[in-house]
Amino acid sequence: MMLLRLLTWPYVRKHKLRTILTIAGIALGVIVFVGMRTANDSVLYGFQQTVDRLAGKAQLQISSGETGFPEEVLERVQALPEVDVAVPVIEATVKTGLPGQGNILILGVDMTGDRSLRQYEFEEGDESFIDDPLVFLAQPDSLMVTSEFAAHNHLATGGKISFDTMIGPRQFTIRGIMKSGGLASAFGGNLAIMDIYAAQKVFGRGRGFDRIDLKLKPDVSLAKGQSALEALLGSGYQIEPPSSRGKQFESISRIFSIGASLNSAFALLIGLFIIYNTFAIAVTQRRSEIGILRSLGASRRQVRGLFLLESAILGLTGSILGIVFGLLMARGMANYVSSLFGEIYGVAQRVETVAADPKIIALALGIGVATSMLAAWLPARDASQVDPAKALHKGAYESFTAEEGRLRLIGAACFLAAAAVCLFLRGAEGLRLYAGYLSVVLAAILLAPAMVRCLVAALRPLLRSLLPVEGALAAGSLIQSPRRTSATVVAVMLSISLVVGLGGVSNSSYQSLMGWMNNVLNPDLFVAASEQISDRGFRFPASIGDELRRMDFIDEVQMVRTARVRFRGAPVMIVAVTIDSLARRVHPQVVAGDPSRMYREAAAGRGVLFADSLARLKGVELGDTVEIPSPAGVLKLPVVGITIDYSDQQGAILMDRSVFVRNWKDDTVNLFRVYLTKGTTAGEGKRRILAQLGARNRLFVLTNDQVRRFILRVTDQWFSLTYMQIFVAVLVAVLGIVNSLTVSITDRRRELAVLQAVGGLRRQVRQAVWMEAMAIALVSVLLGLALGAVILFYYIGIIREEIAGVRLEYEYPVRIALALIPAMIAVAFLSALGPAESAVRSSLVEALEYE
Amino acid sequence: MIDLQDVSKQFDGKRKVTALDQVSLSIAKGEMVSLVGASGSGKSTMLNLIGGLDKPSSGEIIVDGQRLSRVSDDQLTRVRRDKIGFIFQFFNLLPTLSCLENAALPLHLRGWNRRRIDERARELLDLVQLGHRLDHLPEELSGGERQRVAIARALSVYPPILLADEPTGNLDSHTGAEILHLIRNLHQRLGATILIVTHDMGVAESCPRTIRLKDGKVVEDIRR
Repeated sequence: MMLLRLLTWPYVRKHKLRTILTIAGIALGVIVFVGMRTANDSVLYGFQQTVDRLAGKAQLQISSGETGFPEEVLERVQALPEVDVAVPVIEATVKTGLPGQGNILILGVDMTGDRSLRQYEFEEGDESFIDDPLVFLAQPDSLMVTSEFAAHNHLATGGKISFDTMIGPRQFTIRGIMKSGGLASAFGGNLAIMDIYAAQKVFGRGRGFDRIDLKLKPDVSLAKGQSALEALLGSGYQIEPPSSRGKQFESISRIFSIGASLNSAFALLIGLFIIYNTFAIAVTQRRSEIGILRSLGASRRQVRGLFLLESAILGLTGSILGIVFGLLMARGMANYVSSLFGEIYGVAQRVETVAADPKIIALALGIGVATSMLAAWLPARDASQVDPAKALHKGAYESFTAEEGRLRLIGAACFLAAAAVCLFLRGAEGLRLYAGYLSVVLAAILLAPAMVRCLVAALRPLLRSLLPVEGALAAGSLIQSPRRTSATVVAVMLSISLVVGLGGVSNSSYQSLMGWMNNVLNPDLFVAASEQISDRGFRFPASIGDELRRMDFIDEVQMVRTARVRFRGAPVMIVAVTIDSLARRVHPQVVAGDPSRMYREAAAGRGVLFADSLARLKGVELGDTVEIPSPAGVLKLPVVGITIDYSDQQGAILMDRSVFVRNWKDDTVNLFRVYLTKGTTAGEGKRRILAQLGARNRLFVLTNDQVRRFILRVTDQWFSLTYMQIFVAVLVAVLGIVNSLTVSITDRRRELAVLQAVGGLRRQVRQAVWMEAMAIALVSVLLGLALGAVILFYYIGIIREEIAGVRLEYEYPVRIALALIPAMIAVAFLSALGPAESAVRSSLVEALEYE
Repeated sequence: MIDLQDVSKQFDGKRKVTALDQVSLSIAKGEMVSLVGASGSGKSTMLNLIGGLDKPSSGEIIVDGQRLSRVSDDQLTRVRRDKIGFIFQFFNLLPTLSCLENAALPLHLRGWNRRRIDERARELLDLVQLGHRLDHLPEELSGGERQRVAIARALSVYPPILLADEPTGNLDSHTGAEILHLIRNLHQRLGATILIVTHDMGVAESCPRTIRLKDGKVVEDIRR
């Protein structure tokens, strides 16, 4: 500690900017980690909180994916001796249309039995209703809201509120206001209760329920109850405690979580190089100080401990700042992530609180400090090995020794060999891809100093031809001091490769998506029950389809029913549509199977089609017989075709509508794909449908162009999070450049002063510093672009094999790469402005005497 | 050629230090003058002020007719570039540049064309007997050779004034004598005004004029 106060503190005070930059390097990594994780967890937590509060005393919930099931199931469940109470539930989210209120969750319940499971405490309401729930039943426009919702919207008992329902806009009367807390705090308090039979009508559920919530008799264990219910209902139903719904939601949003974690890790990796750079330089600059310490009796361990302690303190400071700003970032991001989840996965949730999770905070602190100490480990070891007698020979330590260079090359060769082995091995696709990716990155890191040397040597004539003195000085500085620049080059290289990799994935995804939309998304109009096409809360009765078909300007109508069901332990989207009609109209890219045969078999109900991505993730192949749980029992059908399909982010199972109606006893529809007759424009068709059906039904008519724009907008939002992470990575790299230049200028104070002493104008000194920065950027970008080309290959592989199963074409993002070169040079130039000014404004006399 | 009129220089820190105290002196064109004094007497400060590396707190310095106290930093740089050559005790060569590039540095900074720069730099390195070391880096040279490159650099534009701060201070006596001989030789051949700061009385006495400083004041001015 004494050493820290005597030696470190004065050094830190002298190099304030560098210390700040180092802390910022760690802080940025931690910000991304804490921000992304907290935002993600807050959304998941919000969902789970809502589930828990809605569940009340329910021990088990019975569902059949998202599809719901017929009413008669309730009677069978209630008759089971193990069951104490079983009540039906319908859940749907509706746009309130009220300023600042967003969506409200409406719970359809049977008030006569529901009070046995859920506690309803009223602040005010019709006394008759509070005393007798039958009054609630007798008045189908009844609605109970929470006190928060009522207060925000100035509603009182007897007040009216309107929603668009499946039977057109309807006005509801507030008959009770629930007290805060418990059930009333679900969905952030934006909750309303409605009679279940009214809900069936309003949300288009026909004669079905979404779920049954139940309580077992006191002497019946959960496991016993579960097995009794399974025996009663068969494997087409999920019988689980309420908490498992959170897990399902987590499983659906898995891709986002993986992406967030990978990118946080990458940001920290880049931060690691910034810290390594700082400590490597500090050890070089304080060599004589270390030599004195050693000659005065300090042990190697004490010297190493001093540097590691310094790194731990910097890491801790950076982590604390990162946590504070990360939580602020999470606050800003949580609602964005929540609405993104709603749009992509069609699962409504509401972020109630963005709170600091102690586990994440502890992990962030641990990761920040560990990263910092890990980064400082090698410099600290170097410091401990300083030979006191040689400590005053400064210059020699700026470059790597021949031995170091040789070891780096051997290490790089080993990693490249490992990458090659991973490439040609078969089996364990995910593992070999991750191992190959890591090997390539490590090889690139080890090769960086040698490649910098070669590239700068190649650039030297160009730099000199631009500005002879400034160019030669910039190139010379980079060649002579690889220790000073290589970590920055590595940080920038990794950032650029990340940009290229993610940019390439983004480009390929858009292209693939555009290809799918052109092949499959060809109806003139889409008639949806919700404004948001992915929302499955409302459903049309099949009769609307008949009405549409009767319209003389409509050529063909395809009825689409989408719902998630549990397939091999995870929620998977089913798309049920009239395959005959679909086969005539769309031409998806077929990956496996004979196109005419697969449609014939699927249309006859003798098979299903799988999205290529889903088949890859679930290990399903053409000809396999898959088991899909349905209320009528387990549906066993062969896979007759595999196609490229982006109906859902994780891929979908396509089946004929007749199969769905037969097995799920559900003929409701989420979406109508409408083809107009020749000569009818989309605008005209939309106007006429709305004129004929709009007044009586809740429906949204979207043109083909609107749907495409919606899909692209959601995709843009998805990738915008990625771009934000890229921005952070680039920012960390910029910090590295500023750090390197600050050090370079300190190191070259005398050199730059000599330049001025022998006649160099301030402009010329500035130009020398700018050129050095731009040379660092150019070399780093070139290396990053090359590494990015390899990383993109791995990203595409990992996405295919491990994350989304999607087959993306390898296409190098040339435009991004071309834009990065001038952009990074400009960023480097801007980063160099401050250091260049400090170089020309320091005292010449002092600088000439500087050692 | 060099005029100092009541020049003072104070350094402000926790304690105010007067490095030069109202010094006035004149050095004529073509003179070779040594500046001696104990450490802290103000000789390096005086050299830095004359060379335009620093500005006086008060008084006026006129170099080749140019008043230095009222010019901008860039104008001061132009004075250094066109009229003054520096020779430092620690050579101050740029480690990443070859001998030829180091010698040519001021010429590049003046924006000469490459062929002319190359011719002049080779000529200067021949003059200091390093024509065979053109592409060597400073780290590949001995101390004496480095100082020769520094001298070649200082002479690159054949400036009318040459300022040397302990030019032999970092060399052994034999090499020091060689460098001094070279400077004297160049003085005779090129006729520049030379001001040498030194601790070495041998070096000082080899100059036709010696100025002694003590506590920031001129206490002796010997002409031989």
